[in-house]
Amino acid sequence: MNTTHDDMSDDDVLRAAGTSLSTLPVAAPPAAQAIMARGRTRRRRTLTGLGLAGTAGAAALALGLTGAFGSAPAYSTGTIRTAAFTLTRNANGTDTLTINPRVLVEPSTLQNDLAQYGIPAMVDAGSFCSTNPAPAGFSQVVTFSPGGTAAGQAVQGNGPGPQPTITINPSAMPAGTELSFGVFQLPTHEGVVALIDKNSYTCASTAPTALPHGALVVYAFPAGS
Amino acid sequence: MSNEQAEFTEFFQASWEPCVRAVVAIVGTQQLAEDQVAEAFARAWASWRKVSRHPAPRAWVVRTALNTGASWWRRRNRELPLAGHDLPAAPPGGLDASLQTALWRLPARQREVIALRIFLDLDTATIARQLGIEAGTVRMHMSRGVAALRRELTLANTTEADQ
Repeated sequence: MNTTHDDMSDDDVLRAAGTSLSTLPVAAPPAAQAIMARGRTRRRRTLTGLGLAGTAGAAALALGLTGAFGSAPAYSTGTIRTAAFTLTRNANGTDTLTINPRVLVEPSTLQNDLAQYGIPAMVDAGSFCSTNPAPAGFSQVVTFSPGGTAAGQAVQGNGPGPQPTITINPSAMPAGTELSFGVFQLPTHEGVVALIDKNSYTCASTAPTALPHGALVVYAFPAGS
Repeated sequence: MSNEQAEFTEFFQASWEPCVRAVVAIVGTQQLAEDQVAEAFARAWASWRKVSRHPAPRAWVVRTALNTGASWWRRRNRELPLAGHDLPAAPPGGLDASLQTALWRLPARQREVIALRIFLDLDTATIARQLGIEAGTVRMHMSRGVAALRRELTLANTTEADQ
């Protein structure tokens, strides 16, 4: 039977999608007791951590080390390494993101890791979002190394060999903005980053042919090279 | 069992399946989704006094599951495989397979708003609060996501009719 779906209401479409996903089996829930035991362990660990932090803080204050626990920003240095990227928190509060363009970035992994470092971002595979006009301040938020790159300027000759690195300064991001990362595999391997207004942007399912203002091509090279 | 434990147990048992389905819809992998949701429920119990008063506790669990995903994947020292890799295959060419693939091809935000609507039955204002975006932005993502799914439904129907 040939039926059209054009006249389906939004609710009908959502119901069809829900029904489709509901065909996937879901494992029975673990025992609630086991979950609560796990939660208790986590709570104990948190309380122990707070206790240790409190003790260390008191000791530091006693020694007059106010710089370590005083009003200075609570930046913790650290590095997250995956096959596709390395994200390093720097002592000055900026973050360095090094991408291995030969490995497909899992969008939600990168997005979660950026969020963990205080960088609001939306990462998508096969989609790139931008705001027109772009929010001001992109060049203060994102710099490309070596040498820095002006907003709206594409990185040239960036083959699969070198691993591109960008430095992100989350404290320079204007309120209401976030970074948009788009990664593409075809027809070129390409990674694009832009600063967007998170309440007003448009997305395209192809890599931008003309780079909008407030965006940067992090890497681009032909697929298969 | 204390009242608090009984209350949590009831919440957990009633919410497990919709929360797992919502996370699967967003991240596209079943085993990791179940692990993440279990961890999120453990965290919910660890902060139950706060979570039990949350206006949308299931949404809290889903957001926590998504936020803890990154550390799970790091602990396992591997990249998240492609969406749908560990899910039982729907019949190839069937409507279910087409819709599932179409959903996972949507941008992340569109998947999130659709999953929160379908599986947690949240209204636009609550989704907006959970995601930290404007209600109008939720409506935009919902509208675009639904339009893409509708196109897939039409395409699948046309293909079926041609065969």
